[in-house]
Amino acid sequence: MNRFKKWFIVIIIILMLIAFDSSYDAVNLNNIAVVVAMAIDTSDDNALKVTFQFTKPSSVSDTGSTEDAPSIVNTIDASSISSAINIMNSYIGKELNLSHCKLIVFSEELAVQGISDEIFTLVNDNQVRPSTNIVISKCDAKSYIENSKPILEPLITKYYEVYANSNQFTGYATDATIGTFFNSLNCDYCEPYAILGGLNSVNNTSDTTINSQKDSDIKANDSPVSGELRSENSGLAVFKDDKLVGELNAIENLSFLCTRNDIEGFLVSVPNPESADEYIDIYLTPAKNCKISVSIVNGSPYVHLDYSFTGRIYSMTQDSDYLDAEKLQRISESCNSYLESTFSSYLYKTSKELNSDINGIGNYALSNFATIPEVQDYNWDAHYKDSFFDVNVESNVKSGFLLM
Amino acid sequence: MKIQKIGAILDTSNKESTKIFPSIDVNLEYVKSKYNTLVNSDVVLREFILNARGKQYKAFILYIDGLVNSDMMNNYILKPLMMRNRNNLFDDKQNRIISEAVANNVTVRKVKKFDLADYLKSCLIPQNSLKEKQEFKDIFSGVNSGNCALFVDTLPVAFDIEVKGFKQRSVEKPSNEIVVKGPHEAFVENLRTNSSLLRRIINNENLTMENIEIGNITKTKCALCFMSNLANPDLVAEIRYRLNNLDVDSLLSAGQLEQLITDTNDLSVPQVLSTERPDKAASYLLEGRVCVILNGAPYALILPAVMIDFLKSPDDRNLKVPFANFIRGIRFLAAAITLLLPGLYVAISSFHQEFLPTELLFSILASRETVPFPLIVEILIMEISFELIREAGLRVPSPIGPTIGIVGGIVLGQAAVSAGIVSPILIIVVAITGISSFAIPDYSFGFHLRFYRFLFIFLGSMAGFLGIAIGLFVYISLLCNTKSFGVPYTTSLSFLEKVKGSGYILPPIWKREYRNSFVNPKEPKKQDNISMKWR
Amino acid sequence: MPDTKITTKEAIMMFVTVIVSHTIVSLPSTILQNTKSATILNIIYVSILALIFAYLVYVLLKNFGGKDIMDIADYLGGRTLKIIVGTVLITYFVTGSGILLRNFCEGLKIIYFSNTNIVFIILVFIIAICITNTFEFSSNMKAISIFLPFVIASVVLLFIGNIQNFSLQRMFPILGEGFVNTFITGLGNIVAFGGISCLYLLPPLLKEPEKFKKIALSSIGFSAVYILLCTSTILFMFPFFFNVDEALPLYTAASYIEFGSFFQRLDAIFLLIWMLEICCYLSLASQFAILSFKKIANLRISKPLAFVIPLLIFAVSLLPKTFADSRFLEDVIYKYIIIVVIFILGFLLLVLANLKRKVKEGLNLKK
Repeated sequence: MNRFKKWFIVIIIILMLIAFDSSYDAVNLNNIAVVVAMAIDTSDDNALKVTFQFTKPSSVSDTGSTEDAPSIVNTIDASSISSAINIMNSYIGKELNLSHCKLIVFSEELAVQGISDEIFTLVNDNQVRPSTNIVISKCDAKSYIENSKPILEPLITKYYEVYANSNQFTGYATDATIGTFFNSLNCDYCEPYAILGGLNSVNNTSDTTINSQKDSDIKANDSPVSGELRSENSGLAVFKDDKLVGELNAIENLSFLCTRNDIEGFLVSVPNPESADEYIDIYLTPAKNCKISVSIVNGSPYVHLDYSFTGRIYSMTQDSDYLDAEKLQRISESCNSYLESTFSSYLYKTSKELNSDINGIGNYALSNFATIPEVQDYNWDAHYKDSFFDVNVESNVKSGFLLM
Repeated sequence: MKIQKIGAILDTSNKESTKIFPSIDVNLEYVKSKYNTLVNSDVVLREFILNARGKQYKAFILYIDGLVNSDMMNNYILKPLMMRNRNNLFDDKQNRIISEAVANNVTVRKVKKFDLADYLKSCLIPQNSLKEKQEFKDIFSGVNSGNCALFVDTLPVAFDIEVKGFKQRSVEKPSNEIVVKGPHEAFVENLRTNSSLLRRIINNENLTMENIEIGNITKTKCALCFMSNLANPDLVAEIRYRLNNLDVDSLLSAGQLEQLITDTNDLSVPQVLSTERPDKAASYLLEGRVCVILNGAPYALILPAVMIDFLKSPDDRNLKVPFANFIRGIRFLAAAITLLLPGLYVAISSFHQEFLPTELLFSILASRETVPFPLIVEILIMEISFELIREAGLRVPSPIGPTIGIVGGIVLGQAAVSAGIVSPILIIVVAITGISSFAIPDYSFGFHLRFYRFLFIFLGSMAGFLGIAIGLFVYISLLCNTKSFGVPYTTSLSFLEKVKGSGYILPPIWKREYRNSFVNPKEPKKQDNISMKWR
Repeated sequence: MPDTKITTKEAIMMFVTVIVSHTIVSLPSTILQNTKSATILNIIYVSILALIFAYLVYVLLKNFGGKDIMDIADYLGGRTLKIIVGTVLITYFVTGSGILLRNFCEGLKIIYFSNTNIVFIILVFIIAICITNTFEFSSNMKAISIFLPFVIASVVLLFIGNIQNFSLQRMFPILGEGFVNTFITGLGNIVAFGGISCLYLLPPLLKEPEKFKKIALSSIGFSAVYILLCTSTILFMFPFFFNVDEALPLYTAASYIEFGSFFQRLDAIFLLIWMLEICCYLSLASQFAILSFKKIANLRISKPLAFVIPLLIFAVSLLPKTFADSRFLEDVIYKYIIIVVIFILGFLLLVLANLKRKVKEGLNLKK
């Protein structure tokens, strides 16, 4: 009995080793090629042009030198993402692994046609992280990736890691991920969105003139930045279902983030109530979450939004005196009216112009109904464009920073 | 003729015990042949004439040179017996009358007969420890442990007189269990010294020390110590039963005894605490546990012991509570790391690389670029060489001890990396595991964890987290199925189970009201709700 | 064996273990598909019903002292009924754990072991429970009580870690598909409390039988909170619970957790904990099956059974050909098994036995 037991155990162990060996090979560190970013374009020859970006691990080895990690970019024409991965596997002799892919770029052209198949395929792959950023590039997706070079970090992945975080303090871009994209794609009361990316305008052949008065009207592909880093993110790509329908510029993106409560603080230029042509820069931080309530009035949604900020004044002049309560009050009022007009123009843009409820205001309307059939009867999708927005901004400008 | 007779006696007495003969010559021959005195150089037989009440008797003493204190023997045994003095010259011709009763003019007197053995014991030998024995077996075990035996003609008994005086190690600082704040005394090899150390700390008459002899040949003396007013009598009885029913020839160390009395040795997990610190032993005695000390071992065994006890240090109680809990937490972490870290590393880098942050993944990838082996081979090489260094460091003669450090540290660590045989990250993993295993206070428990980490390395490389999970489940279930003297081994290991007097977190000193409830002590509380009455 | 009895706390944990294991696989999405946005309301409603049911079970069992349902069946209908009830219970435990194991392993295969035959993944679990089945029941319970805190902590962490992804409005419209769907057809969600099966077998196992009421009620209470936590995590996070079916919904939720840029993709740790939980459940279910078998066959030795029952579970888990089959088995067949066995059969048995007792007592009084 005992001998039988011993042999049984040995056999089981050997069986298990054989059984799990193939899975071991599939995901073993030595056998995988880590994809850092992925770009998907339309192709003339085939359905898709898929670009993969890798980085060589040895360039990040122990020396800790700050030399630029060479990123390797390979492109393939294929009928689908999975077949592209398959071809790539045989090309580089390793298995592609998307679990560290930080960025997926779609070209504008493709996004207009609809990207739901690609998104579903990617989400179905359990390697893809839901937190992978999704970018709609105004230029070629491939050239966007080629031009994404870390200038402050030695490693491209580190750059991708921090790159969507700027929304926390500027509000000019959004940390849009494939997870949220997929969620809103499947949501009946909200629409997906993605980061709007592009190459900055310095090298653009078309001579874009910044004709707006404000810095905050910039958008990706035509921003006034010049530098080594050519790819940039600014603004938001707005989808209706899986199709790209429009873009938001930086300040609209800011409004979007404020409505979503996804911002730590931001800078706005507000008309100076003291002198007509001047602007004051105020750094605003949300004091409370934005409160949204929706009621259905005569069949169309009446949306009430309550924003609340506290602010400190950035721009200083020699004779400004920001300890005066009345003055501050006037600035606050000016700030309120400025933000109210900005926010409502943003909201009307989403409803009237784009008819895409990216803020998920439809979710707030749900409490008006008791059952799902009622909601479906109402058909939020059709009524969103009739929405009336009542925006109320309560900003409280306190003082300057060190100088009063 | 006489010799033949003794030979016959010897033959039979190998198995059964022999009573002491009334004739001194027979006794002498018997002892001589038993101890093989013609060959044995250190066995001494001293024959002399004993004076008692003016009469003279033939006598001899038997002792082993080197085990006894000669001064003591000369002054307190030989001198009073041989020299003329008032006691042994006193010739009391009249028998001493104990009682007298007169009835019908007849006086009935009860007189005390002269009893030589009694007289020797009570009047002639001014020695504190003296036992009258009737069997050679008992006499010999006394002689073997350093006593001297006195045989007197006409007496069918012999005297076992304690004159121990052998050289022994003095009480020193503990070498393996070091504490910062606390007493610096350690057990030594001598049983009596050890028991005195315990007595000195506990200082209470309820401390009971039962003597039990183990080993058919060595007859190693063990003391079963417990607080008679605290310890659970059933527990004591069970331990006594196990100790009394050991049929072994010899017992040389506490480690052997530990294995002989535990329920199961399958899992290699220690089920008995062994300590070289009397204060630790005493504190457990005061918790109601039982302690076994044996002659020749500088360790006391504390039983029963549960898993959490192996991660406690006597320093915990000497430190302020936050520090104590902090270092205790570190130790629990160390135990987890020792057991699981290499396995987890293998599992993650073989199956779950998505779990790693990207930068870390790239550092691992970069560090493994030149390594020719698969991960499992690489980690086994390092773990085994670590064990080699540890074992060599332990066995190496101390003058060349530092060499091991140099060879191990520089050659294996540095050179293996530069040669590209192992990756630097792996060295870190192995080093952290090694250091953690030494942070565990109990040596054998640390060893157990170090041993089982190989199992987890194997499971992790086989099926990743699935293997680890299955291994962990079976391992913990096995632990749960283990019992140390009736106490479940994993008592108070679960976060949801509250056991009085035991647990992960040491309560502040005024809140330590209960003894370990799992040993079911007679007195569950050790202090009042309000212990600091001065407040 | 003096130490086969379990403490009150362990009994509650046992109950929770049964429920937790099902939530890991597909229970949350089944519940959500039943009642959609009304799930929270429905869970509260169903929990109250389950509480009432558990209380009734307690009241009905109370009269029989330390007897479990098989003894009661014996009392009611003799040995035949006892064997029938025992067999039904064994079937319930074996099929339940077999299907659960299959579904979980399918998930594991998708996520980590794409190239391994599912038989081997299942076999690993089977071997583990073969080993632990040879131990005493109480030591299995001790192991569960060590692992369960981690499992519950994992779900709480799942809830907390995902709070940033929540959109509370998803609980509206509050009535879901309508009143009928929520409160009448939604009654089917009571299968979440399949752990009530333990209550039937519990009385002879308890160290302190007088605390049976506390066990029944508090274990239902804990489970209700737990299920609420799970389903609300899924409900608040994903809008697509009726459009897209997911293999392991809680796992998907786990992959969304992020604490800074370093702690991403913690799903592997969650799966590690949940594998432990599945092992716990399997060992529990097979121990119950062994217990039932011992009882109906009047066996004293249970060692060989320790291997037979896991093999049965193994066989059941290999029955479905595809993932779709096994999902169907779990979502539909198993659900009806629970409803029929636990909520109807068991209850009827208890009621009848009580009636018989009443009648007998009445007769005795008349005499």
